[in-house]
Amino acid sequence: MATAEPAIVAGAHEPRGVAGWLTTVDHKRIGILYVVTAVGFFIISGLLSLLMRAELAQPGLQVVNESTYNQLFTMHGTGMMFLFATPLVAGLANYFVPLHVGAPDVAFPRLNALTYWLYVLGGVVVFSGFLTASGAAAFGWTGYAPLSEATYSPGAGVDLWIIGLILVGTSSILGAVNLMATIFGMRAPGMTMFRLPIFTWNIIVTLTLIMFSFPVLTAALAALFIDRNLGGGFFDPTQGGDPILWQHLFWFFGHPEVYIVILPFFGVITEIIPVFSRKPLFGYRGFVFATLLIGAYSFSVWAHHMFTTGSVNNPFFSAMTMLIAVPTGVKFFSWIATMWRGKLTFPTPMLFAMGFLFMFLIGGITGIFVASPPIDYAVHDTYYVVAHMHYVLFGGTVFASFAAFYYWIPKMSGRMMGERLGKLHFWLMLIGFNLTFFPMHQMGLNGMQRRVADYPAESGLEVLNAVSTAGSGIVALSIAVFLFNLFVSMKRGASAGDDPWQANTLEWATSSPPPHHNFKRLPPIRSERPVFDARHTGPADG
Amino acid sequence: MVLTTSCAPQGSTSQGREISSLYDIFLWIAAGVFLVTAGLIAWSIIRYRAKPGDDDLPEQFHQNLKLEVTWFAIPQILVVVLFVLSAFALNEVNEESPEPDAVVDVTGFQWGWRFTYDGSGKEVVGTPQEPAKVLVPVGNVSFVLTSADVVHSFYVPDFLIKRDAVPGRDTRIDVNVDAGVYDGVCAEFCGLLHARMPFTIEAVSQEAFQQWLQEPPEGVARGDG
Ligand code: HEM
Ligand SMILES: [Cu+2]
Ligand SMILES: [Cu+2]
Repeated sequence: MATAEPAIVAGAHEPRGVAGWLTTVDHKRIGILYVVTAVGFFIISGLLSLLMRAELAQPGLQVVNESTYNQLFTMHGTGMMFLFATPLVAGLANYFVPLHVGAPDVAFPRLNALTYWLYVLGGVVVFSGFLTASGAAAFGWTGYAPLSEATYSPGAGVDLWIIGLILVGTSSILGAVNLMATIFGMRAPGMTMFRLPIFTWNIIVTLTLIMFSFPVLTAALAALFIDRNLGGGFFDPTQGGDPILWQHLFWFFGHPEVYIVILPFFGVITEIIPVFSRKPLFGYRGFVFATLLIGAYSFSVWAHHMFTTGSVNNPFFSAMTMLIAVPTGVKFFSWIATMWRGKLTFPTPMLFAMGFLFMFLIGGITGIFVASPPIDYAVHDTYYVVAHMHYVLFGGTVFASFAAFYYWIPKMSGRMMGERLGKLHFWLMLIGFNLTFFPMHQMGLNGMQRRVADYPAESGLEVLNAVSTAGSGIVALSIAVFLFNLFVSMKRGASAGDDPWQANTLEWATSSPPPHHNFKRLPPIRSERPVFDARHTGPADG
Repeated sequence: MVLTTSCAPQGSTSQGREISSLYDIFLWIAAGVFLVTAGLIAWSIIRYRAKPGDDDLPEQFHQNLKLEVTWFAIPQILVVVLFVLSAFALNEVNEESPEPDAVVDVTGFQWGWRFTYDGSGKEVVGTPQEPAKVLVPVGNVSFVLTSADVVHSFYVPDFLIKRDAVPGRDTRIDVNVDAGVYDGVCAEFCGLLHARMPFTIEAVSQEAFQQWLQEPPEGVARGDG
């Protein structure tokens, strides 16, 4: 169905001001709400990690005690994964998918508002654990049973963690259905599947992963809740339950989850690189194929998180995990070939995209190491893994998020972000990030296990940890620069115009910010670069 | 940059050495992959930077099937090679010795380790205040692991191996240990004092080990043999 008006003409007359934002069903406003809330959780979870780094700066306990430290890393991980990265995807997709497909809104605007508010509610419930007498959940974002059972982790904080995550998960599932319906049901005339922007293709695969993996997490959380409150015994070996079952369920969700928070950002990078190379994406179809392959493989690798349990088929999961590197490699070569013989410029979005390429490359390579069971026997649950995962999640997701922000905020707000501050932000973050996380490889190889508030003195770990903590301060500074830049630019930034980057995809064919229901008039869509075609008015493909 | 991660410990078990040399192979290949890929990116950034004032479009090429098949195939071959190397190492590392020189039963609990020795009645229990110190003979030692409560993980960094201790089941690692004193920790997060579960294993001659086994229990054992 290709239509100019959504089924429900919802939100055409929204109240002004705060009330308008609170009651909005407009996909662009909901998108902005998602992004702002997600960044809020990024800052909160980031502050928790600064406390951890402060504690780890030297051996001994100086800043927090063990009990607090355990809550900190649990809530840092939970906040970053469930309340920052995943909802940020929902936010960007909400804003840009309808624009990318040339639709006036999402398929179900009211459902869209519901998913946002479920997410907010879930996030508040998760974090309210800090207010309970026994504190927040303190068993890691992975919630391994039986540690997460009532015997070992009594207290309401854990139940709030479970309930909050069920709410957030439900929100993700409903949001996925909504966006999927939008992409398949509301594309503009001429927008065939193979003309969709790659960002939107990556979102399709991401939504599929959400729809298959989040229900499993929800079921596992419900079972844990039953165990804790109704004597279920699913994961309790003393009642015939199985702690390993929890790990299977959690990682059957957990591994696709890491692709849920990276694939959309592959998409972002793939939008940005062609624009600033002034060339089409090299190997569009190959790229789509690689994305589908990653999506399919990602459901067959989960037990690589369980190599040391002695309960899984290590060679099988190792083989599948290494295979998944291949389509990822294809993407790298596509990006390089897109830049090859182009005319490259490096405004802030492109700088962050380049940062992403280098940082994610390192994270991807250490991923092959931990995919080898013998190597994993050595480095599993050490700081090596903490390093690997942050090169992927921070070097990947966060660098690409900032690329997306600098690229798209002009569209969302109508104002350009400051370039000088943007570049300062980039270089500070690049340096701070590497100082924080690169030494962690060596800490792990030296045997420092993760999730510890303290480590022995004279273990050769002091210098590495001190450097890492200093680096985290620089990262924090870089984020402050970003917030300052955002504040100043939203007040006084240069006007963006419709298409400040000379870009390719439909969001640039309308005003900044786009009007209600997005487009006054759509350009003809004859390739995956309709705006490029319109600008160069020649035949659709060169 | 990648090279600075090469300082992997050598390993004090034959299994650890196996892992360490596998790590080194991976590292060389990884360094190659990193240099080629990062080099191509860096080259593009430097070489294809737009000249100021040059507004012409560069050539708009879209695809090249041969090239794309090649860059699918090369990594595919590479990961098969890495998988095979790692699978061989895995077999060696996982191999259980049919007649170990000692079998040590290890039980993790919140927060310490209990070591018992098959058929000798010897038992050493460590606590956060007084971590366990135990002896094993140089040679093939089997550790049979379980847990009394939550999941723990038995990890001796110098062995380059860890294995989870899971309540309700036994897991096992077999290592061929060199003489020496080795510190261990719990690697799987297990609650409040997870960081306070260290233990020490000293590998000594079979005679010294047997003599230690005969010693009457006296609370926490002396670790000096
Ligand atoms: C300023 C930036 C950050 C710093 C300094 C930081 C620091 C840390 C540290 C030190 C740990 C290990 C704690 C421990 O094992 O004791 C950790 C764990 C973790 N981090 Fe970060 N991190 C940052 C950003 C991020 C981001 C952006 C993400 C995800 C998008 C993330 C996701 C995680 C996860 C999932 C864990 C595992 C938590 C667990 O063990 O349960 N972090 N972080
Ligand atoms: Cu995984
Ligand atoms: Cu433990």
